[in-house]
Amino acid sequence: MHDRLDISMRANHVFFWILVIVALVFAAFASFSGDVFYLRLATEALILGGLALSIDILLGFTGLLSLGQALYFGIGAYVSALVLREEPSFWLAMGAAGVSVLLAGIAGGLIANRVRGVYFALITFGMAQVVAKVVYNSRELGASDGLIGIPVIEIPLGLITLSAGDPLGFFLLTLVIIALLYSVSAYLLGTPFGRIIIALKANEKRVPYLGYSTWAARMAAYVLAAVIAGLAGALYPMLRGFVSPELLFFATSGDALIMVIVGGAGTLAGAIWGAVILTMLKSVIGSWTEHHLIVIGLIFMSAILFMPKGIVGMLKPFVERNLLRNSARQPKPEPERTAL
Amino acid sequence: MKHNLLTTTTIAMLLASSAYAQEAIKIGVLTPLSGTYAGIGQQVRWGIDQSVEEINAAGGIAGRQIELVYEDSEANPAVAVTKAEKLFTVDNVDFLTGTVNSGATLAVGQVADRADKLIATTVSFSDAITGSGCSPNVFRVNARAGQQSEALAAWLKQEKPGAEVYYLGPDYEMGRSTVAAFKERAESVGATSTGEVFAPLDSKDYSQYFGQLRAARPDVLYTSVAGNDTVRLFTQMNDFGVSEGLTILGASGTVTAQNINAIGAAAEGFITGVGYSVLIDSPENKAFTEAFRERNGADPDLYGADSYGLLFAYKAAVEAAGATDTDSVRAALEGLSWETPQGTKTIRAGDHQAMQPMYVVEVKNGQFTIVRSIAGEDAIGPDTCDKF
Repeated sequence: MHDRLDISMRANHVFFWILVIVALVFAAFASFSGDVFYLRLATEALILGGLALSIDILLGFTGLLSLGQALYFGIGAYVSALVLREEPSFWLAMGAAGVSVLLAGIAGGLIANRVRGVYFALITFGMAQVVAKVVYNSRELGASDGLIGIPVIEIPLGLITLSAGDPLGFFLLTLVIIALLYSVSAYLLGTPFGRIIIALKANEKRVPYLGYSTWAARMAAYVLAAVIAGLAGALYPMLRGFVSPELLFFATSGDALIMVIVGGAGTLAGAIWGAVILTMLKSVIGSWTEHHLIVIGLIFMSAILFMPKGIVGMLKPFVERNLLRNSARQPKPEPERTAL
Repeated sequence: MKHNLLTTTTIAMLLASSAYAQEAIKIGVLTPLSGTYAGIGQQVRWGIDQSVEEINAAGGIAGRQIELVYEDSEANPAVAVTKAEKLFTVDNVDFLTGTVNSGATLAVGQVADRADKLIATTVSFSDAITGSGCSPNVFRVNARAGQQSEALAAWLKQEKPGAEVYYLGPDYEMGRSTVAAFKERAESVGATSTGEVFAPLDSKDYSQYFGQLRAARPDVLYTSVAGNDTVRLFTQMNDFGVSEGLTILGASGTVTAQNINAIGAAAEGFITGVGYSVLIDSPENKAFTEAFRERNGADPDLYGADSYGLLFAYKAAVEAAGATDTDSVRAALEGLSWETPQGTKTIRAGDHQAMQPMYVVEVKNGQFTIVRSIAGEDAIGPDTCDKF
């Protein structure tokens, strides 16, 4: 009747829709006031939200702590950058980045999924560091200087053509892409396959007794997360016009992890909320004081102490209660999508 | 508006309210205030603050006071581009400087191109900034990596004609490119290369390379290791007697004030090329170093000195152009000559690289001593920029 996962996902959708509405109001306001900087900063926040989303699939649903998710974000960004420098085509860059991170995710998954727990965290951390060092020392990839000169591309979208240099247009496109990544993740986690993944987090030892392969489910979750991180990463050079090895460093993975925890692990929408909040906070506090790292650290610590479930995680029970009450009033508990 | 810089802005406001009603010229300083390069960022900040205090006290630029807006680049290009966009579009700065790591300078340079603003770096070494990655909106007033090599090569030509040189570098991209750059310059002045070897960063034991080094029988060893690696390399060479009869040249970061005491006697005779030293014997430098010590309680290093000099060039350019718009200031900066603690600097119009006298320094009795100065024209190297 009232499936807990279904209610939980519908509550996540509520938070995601609030984010979309806030984003649209902000975009309208920003374009009306002629702002460029905050629109582009918000676009970057959404792109980082894609990375955070991929971490949440692993941490919040599969129960895997990845400390190296920037690996796939960075591979997506570098492949996209290399393609765009040769051929300024949005679809080609996204396609190439998607295929590359799919392969990289399978390779990384084969290595990382041999171990569990803290060893998984260390292996993912190690893989990202190794690849970051290789990029850092490869002159063909721009070495420590990174790659600049990525052109501002025109993005053909059927009827209209959009420029990556148009802050409003690119912001909306990024919002659509992140919404797609969110929807695909939410949909997959709602399927029977998704329930196996969630069962892994609850009790991995029992899953084989139900007749399912834990390895295949973990692998699938890992590759899915890699592809999401990579597709988000592919948008980065279109926005900023460059890539640098820092995108693969632990600072990127660590920041994204903080976004997930502040927003609320296991809520999907919380990861993106966390990205938006942390990016905005960093910008404002960074301009306000040079001791911004201390302030961000204190905020992170208080978030963990006082809101261990994160912002969305803390507010979610209220929404769930409302959803339950609403569905109880209806004669048939049909999953009513338009009600969202 | 937010200011991190109380003293300067207080002075600026006092002067502005009393004498000048004109709007201040805003300059963004995007430099690492936290993280690995915070120490360099500190020197940049001291140098720029000091020059702004002096310029503002003397009436500003064409009667307009300078107002600085600081942002922390965290030495991360991804952070730096975001902050640069903020400085250009929200704070509306007229000019931007302070970037330290070359990746950040290149990426911020591209932001400047797209925003049609000018930036200058006072720190980044990478030859790409005024070479293959040059941009009409990017200037560099410090010596690039190639100028150090040129200065050392000029010294080699005069002091050790036809030298046989062996190269030992740290095994990463920067190490390999510094060795490659110096090797090319050394060979062009008639030196013979007898071999090269790359040791991993943080090597504990360099003795494994000494066999190859001795077998090659060089007169000169060039190395670009840095920090504690230099301490180990030099002391081990000394212990094994490898350094006898060998002249050791190196990059300017190889032996510094930070590690010279740890190296001790093994540093004796080490020679490098630098763009600045507190020992430069000129009245301008004496006045500068004294004021710097008084104000900041520390000696200036090359970053502090180059950053101090920059805004005097900007002032000269704006006053010559009579405007602060990008095209006028760019045209005025190209070919500009101005006085700095290091001597006269000239911005080469072809690639926006400053020419400046370079100094060859040698460690004598545990102290850096200037043994020769090389004229700016001899150390600049060819203009390889083809973008403008």
